[in-house]
Amino acid sequence: MPSMAIQLQRYLPERDSTPHWQAFNVEYDDSTSVLDALEQIKAEQDSSLSYRWSCRMAICGSCGVMVNGVPKLGCKTFLRDYPKGLQLAPLGNFPVEKDLIVDMSRFLEHLTAIKPYLIAEAAPQGQPHRQTPAQLARYKQFSNCINCGLCYAACPQFGLKPDFLGPAAIALAHRYNLDSRDSGKAERMAQLNSDNGVWGCTFVGYCSTVCPKGVDPAAAVNQGKIASTLDGVIQWFKPAKASRNKEQR
Amino acid sequence: MSRKPYQPPMPASWWLKHPAYRFYMLREATVLPLLFFVASLLYGLYALGQGESSWLQYLSWLQQPWVIALNSLALVASLFHAWTFFVLFPQVMPLRLGSRTLPAWLMVSAQWAGVLLVILALWWLLGGMNADA
Repeated sequence: MPSMAIQLQRYLPERDSTPHWQAFNVEYDDSTSVLDALEQIKAEQDSSLSYRWSCRMAICGSCGVMVNGVPKLGCKTFLRDYPKGLQLAPLGNFPVEKDLIVDMSRFLEHLTAIKPYLIAEAAPQGQPHRQTPAQLARYKQFSNCINCGLCYAACPQFGLKPDFLGPAAIALAHRYNLDSRDSGKAERMAQLNSDNGVWGCTFVGYCSTVCPKGVDPAAAVNQGKIASTLDGVIQWFKPAKASRNKEQR
Repeated sequence: MSRKPYQPPMPASWWLKHPAYRFYMLREATVLPLLFFVASLLYGLYALGQGESSWLQYLSWLQQPWVIALNSLALVASLFHAWTFFVLFPQVMPLRLGSRTLPAWLMVSAQWAGVLLVILALWWLLGGMNADA
């Protein structure tokens, strides 16, 4: 079996003030993923190594790491594609908790803020909400997000300004706004319209390049700019109308 | 045990780290030669208002090699920016016919066809003026 040199960024908070690099050698074949390599290191060389993982099949979104500076899912990245060797570091733009584990709470706060769930009236008489294939097609792509955070590691705007809602949260807001069953758009637009919403994006577009599920968050964010503009135009006219209605009552 | 998260720094050189970031900065930097083009256009308008001698001075200023070089750079920069804009357009405004989305290549080609039409219209307009003179 051939072996490969892997540089790992280590950070042990009880001992270190800054991260440092540590070299490991792992045996690999055509089927060895980055996640397999990490398991090999932890089992055979250094049990103190910490990293997140769960499903091993690009569904759970837990094992995001920087592979030679590029955000990747460890389970979906294979050593055979890196004959010159590997540098593994924790996901960029997030605070590092230990070794390859980052604190994703900022992303999760942003995700919670945009209410990523159906806000809908109950269907009449307990019937299921019906949706045509055309209505499904409008948002399906954006619903493939697995919350892995690779797009946040790719987004310099999030790195510069952590309050920016960021690619995945805005993509999911857009996903529910486009859903024909949903009626919560008004509740999400305040977040999207703000400086930390869609307008915080300058269309670097790298989030869509690194997305392992083909969600294209950059498309969602920039379609969101159109939605935000329309919403703004509508708001110009709305308050006047509302006060007139009040006067009539 | 208390936590001690390490916040990675974001140096001013962040955009040198990856080709995607360098491409983005190049796209945004196209505004710099375009600023020069707009300034020379405004200078021309001002010169036109000041009378004939001022206008002729402006024309000779335009013919200096460094002005021609900067304006040529502005042309290349605007075409490059247009290309990036056209490619991003289908992502921002996908056009749907029923449940199908128009293919991106069609939308990009249609935009270049629009550019070609504008160039042809300008060429026809300016050619007409020369014929009259």
